[in-house]
Amino acid sequence: MSSTRREFLAGAGALVGGLAISSLGIDLTSVIAYAEEMKKIEKVKTARQTTSICCYCSVGCGLICSTDKKTGKIINIEGDPDHPINEGSLCAKGAGIFQTTEANSHRLTKVLYRAPGSDKWQVKSWNWAITEIAKRIKKTRDTGFMAKNSKGEVVNRVENIAHMGSSNIDNEECWLIASMVRAMGLVYIDHQARV
Amino acid sequence: MTNHWIDLQHGDVILLQGSNAAENHPISFKWIMKAKERGAIVIHVDPRFTRTSSKADIYTPLRPGTDIALFGGMINYIIEKEKYFKEYVVNYTNASFIVNDKFDFHDGLFSGYNPATRKYDKSTWTIQKDEKGIPVKDPTLQHPRCVFQLLKKHYSRYDIETVSRITGTPVKDLLKVYEAYASTGVPDRAGTILYALGQTQHTSGVQNIRALSIIQLLLGNIGICGGGVNALRGEPNVQGSTDFAILYDSLPGYLKAMTVSTKTLEDYLKKNTPVSKDPMSANWYQNYPKYMVSLLKAWFGDRATKENEFGYSWLPRLDDGQICDVLNMIDNMSKGKIKGLICVAQNPACSLPNSNKVREAFKNLDWMVHVNIFNNETASFWKGPGMDPQKIKTEVFLLPAAASVEKEGSQTNSGRWVQWKYEAAKAPGDCIYTGDIIIRLVSKLKELYRTDKKAVFPDPILNLKWDYTDNKGRMDVVKVSKTINGYFLEDVTIGDKTYKKGDCVPSFALLQADGRTSSGCWIMCGAFTENGTNLMARRKKDDPTGLGLYPQWAWAWPVNRRIIYNRASVDLNGKPYNPKRPLLAWVDGKWVGDVPDGPWPPMADKEKGKYPFIMKPDGVSSLFGPGLNDGPFPEHYEPLEGPVTNNLLSSQLRNPVIRIFSGPYDKVASSDPKYPFVMTTYTSTEHWCTGAITRWQSWLTEAQPQVYVEISEELAKLKGIKNGDKVKVESVRGSVLCVAMVTPRLQPLNCGGKSIHVVGMTFNYGWLFPEDCGDSANLLTPTAGDANTGTPEYKAFMVNITKV
Amino acid sequence: MSNGKSILVDTSLCTGCRGCQVACKQWNNLPGTKTKQIGTYQNPQDFSFETWKVVRFADGRQEDGKPYWYFFSDMCRHCIEPPCKISIEMTVKDAVIQDQATGAVVYTEKTKQVQFKDVMCPYGIPKQNPKTKVLTKCTMCIDRIKNGLIPACVKACPTGAVVFGDRDKILDMAKKRVTELKKTYPKAMAINPDEVRVIYIVTDNPKKYWKFAAGV
Repeated sequence: MSSTRREFLAGAGALVGGLAISSLGIDLTSVIAYAEEMKKIEKVKTARQTTSICCYCSVGCGLICSTDKKTGKIINIEGDPDHPINEGSLCAKGAGIFQTTEANSHRLTKVLYRAPGSDKWQVKSWNWAITEIAKRIKKTRDTGFMAKNSKGEVVNRVENIAHMGSSNIDNEECWLIASMVRAMGLVYIDHQARV
Repeated sequence: MTNHWIDLQHGDVILLQGSNAAENHPISFKWIMKAKERGAIVIHVDPRFTRTSSKADIYTPLRPGTDIALFGGMINYIIEKEKYFKEYVVNYTNASFIVNDKFDFHDGLFSGYNPATRKYDKSTWTIQKDEKGIPVKDPTLQHPRCVFQLLKKHYSRYDIETVSRITGTPVKDLLKVYEAYASTGVPDRAGTILYALGQTQHTSGVQNIRALSIIQLLLGNIGICGGGVNALRGEPNVQGSTDFAILYDSLPGYLKAMTVSTKTLEDYLKKNTPVSKDPMSANWYQNYPKYMVSLLKAWFGDRATKENEFGYSWLPRLDDGQICDVLNMIDNMSKGKIKGLICVAQNPACSLPNSNKVREAFKNLDWMVHVNIFNNETASFWKGPGMDPQKIKTEVFLLPAAASVEKEGSQTNSGRWVQWKYEAAKAPGDCIYTGDIIIRLVSKLKELYRTDKKAVFPDPILNLKWDYTDNKGRMDVVKVSKTINGYFLEDVTIGDKTYKKGDCVPSFALLQADGRTSSGCWIMCGAFTENGTNLMARRKKDDPTGLGLYPQWAWAWPVNRRIIYNRASVDLNGKPYNPKRPLLAWVDGKWVGDVPDGPWPPMADKEKGKYPFIMKPDGVSSLFGPGLNDGPFPEHYEPLEGPVTNNLLSSQLRNPVIRIFSGPYDKVASSDPKYPFVMTTYTSTEHWCTGAITRWQSWLTEAQPQVYVEISEELAKLKGIKNGDKVKVESVRGSVLCVAMVTPRLQPLNCGGKSIHVVGMTFNYGWLFPEDCGDSANLLTPTAGDANTGTPEYKAFMVNITKV
Repeated sequence: MSNGKSILVDTSLCTGCRGCQVACKQWNNLPGTKTKQIGTYQNPQDFSFETWKVVRFADGRQEDGKPYWYFFSDMCRHCIEPPCKISIEMTVKDAVIQDQATGAVVYTEKTKQVQFKDVMCPYGIPKQNPKTKVLTKCTMCIDRIKNGLIPACVKACPTGAVVFGDRDKILDMAKKRVTELKKTYPKAMAINPDEVRVIYIVTDNPKKYWKFAAGV
């Protein structure tokens, strides 16, 4: 074909940044089943739109997240039609990213701790957790720190603590981790890139 | 990827091997179908007929673990039929280089193998140099010891009948694939090879990729539109996490980890900075010291001085040859040597090979810290199947993190595009950024070390520069990002321009080796302009070349170059080999098009011109690649656990330097009648890796609810299994109960008269949630790793299947 | 009525990625239902009051022994003369809207007054909410299209296998595409283009995709 499907149908109304309202006549709100769904379009139209990037396969598709200005919660996530790679399209996982948000009741929202021998989780505070974790890191590190190896060569490393992950976090977070583990003296450092 | 996603549309022949892109990188098919509509030939080589195969013009199966045989046959075909792009091969590869007289290959082994240590002495794998230190070359490619002739000799053994007997791919199908792909060895046809974990997750994984790279070089497909060696990476930011080296054997920006043999910074820089005597070789890594010192300054700030070697001695050193990857990590953990684990957004209980070994190993930890957005089998290992929580002493801290759309920051896709994203909503409950967790942890550690007079070697912790919070105490993402980019730490004059202290460094060409600049990762240098404009956040759709480069959409490393090695897309005079896709051209004394691989003139300029492969010391790409552990030429070996007892190409059944283990969990059952079927593992479109994130999502679990094994109709008949039956799949290491998916998309392979059945399973499931979805395919996989990277062999091992 | 909008589903471009299936759930806030693995990639097995788009998977071997795998992104056809509307209106008037401007066929709450067994559809589309008795199915995202947006499933599709536009242009496109496809696939056809607004293009016998692909 001489023109692509998409170019040809661009006039049919791809989602554009400002979500133009163009009512074509009938007021359907009173008659359509699932009136909730009609309300969604109104909410999405007035929501704050934020661009993001898909958290899955590394194609790096663009997303548009619609956040309800009143509640501050995300109410819709779909593809970013301006993104040159995906042009608004998304596969099953990308199309479902809404279920990674607060809307999913399975999200971890509390700091949890499992004590030795226990069969359940306890809820804790951040301050408690950070302090207790740091204490354990320090104790384990100080116990196992190797200033020299068996040949007497200077190594200044820690072999009894390991770090794993992650390829699922942002660059800035990756760099902070890369910095942290070197400062701690760790050598068992790895993540999904290898596997 | 050397290229990028949109570029796939320019392929004239697209070979997907070791990739199931339609299922695992679905949006890539937007661009592949565009190519197809334009007349491109799409080839899919895969043990299974998948959603990718359904759109391919040519589909052919191959036995898992035999890619090098197939590629070797293609190299043989290309050379025999003279389909290679001669000018490219002569000028842009090391084909003409003369190899050391003592280098040899015989019956499956290269010269220098020591069976006692299971290692090669690589000292014979060298190129001859003249008195000036420049490689000796024969541009006619006739010299019997030149790389080209040795390559030809090596792959002459890969005749098509032998390849067919090894791979199970019919000869006529092999010929179809070879003929179609080799047609791209001409200037106006581009061939792209797309691969993913189907190539890397083998004990010969790296050599698989070397083999396809050799093909691309022979055909002149690297550095051009529609070409390239295109790794379709598997995680949203695995490119970034690799760049930033959350790995034991590198430092951010692909710098090398420190070892005991480099006692001083000077030793280290000398060892790792390559030297080239050829003035036409740019040898870009000669700038290594600038990157290492700038990294140290980023880490230690003012505390890093010339006097203390910029803090070099504070950092950990590996013993020479010490391997600290996940395989050794788990092995040592299972031996009780590792007491603490920090595990961020990863699910090793389901993703690492031999899950029983992994899950048992966790029991030996004193403590585990896990950061994630959902619970998973790793954080909850202590209540998994067969676990008695009362007997498990491991403390587990499960920390709630913000999800991707709840965070501002950057992410690097497989095409090296670094894209900025924004916070669409605040994370729920007590969730915070993973970055905030790390910041708080290190801040607390600093406090503990500062206040303990008896603290052990506190130096690196106390000296680490750590001022990455805003005035509300939250992670200042932009500040971290700028630190990664790099700053001028004082006024610096370069040429006729003076950069001010505090300016962002706008290009790594400006980084200094004397401590006047910092950069957390040199390849990211240039993501900010000198006045701090964030180029990663750009959204301009201009495309001046019309080739889909979109140079002002986000920012690509390095220096926004969209296709790397692009100097190989032009002839010696700088004229594009394919005028219809002019990626780069030397016009009126400068380069136009993509960001060139360096500003120097093309090679015809004997005074100022440079060879195109600027990151290699010799300036050209490697057909002969002496830097790997298992040989300078890829050679076919069988997987560690396989269905045959002999290798048709040599007496060496397996790659002699692969990573193997011999603990109680590390059982292997090769050519064992108890486990007669070859199994491969993979993922599905609808789930993500171990399913740690996706199994909690009802729309996705609805589409792919439970674990299944795909088997052929022939195998089903053999074992009396019907579609939908419950079956047990077992290897010598473990078993998985699942549903049988009997399908015509798998067929037994005829490997030299022997019928070999191949079955497959996704690793998308785990025992935690949903309750009845099944457990991980990795209960079956072996603890065996690639000879160079240690990447486990998830893709080829042996199982049995029985109806339950 | 033959103007208005149409959707073209070109199965020759479809990779079965299920972006459309999930996008429909996402936009319409439909829950993910509990399913079982019965030996196919397809799930759910059929439409329900909570599933308005099902990507159907059908694999087999051609006469020459080569495998095939067809993907059929099934949805309401939004017929020009919808049998469901006709049959429902025998019981209840105005229970089904056929939008003047677009031709979208949309059910209202009034459908709960109809006996499900009396609802006619050759494609097996309409389903009933067991609690409320209201009939449900794809709405052609009428809320979106009335606001200048394309349906969620159309937007999600990466390869252009599902496209939306003015009916006459879609019909033209379907014709051209079938002509092109026939060069490689002699059995290529558009299914019932004059009867439906959602037109499927297949490269093989429609029954190989799904028993109701071309209607009963």
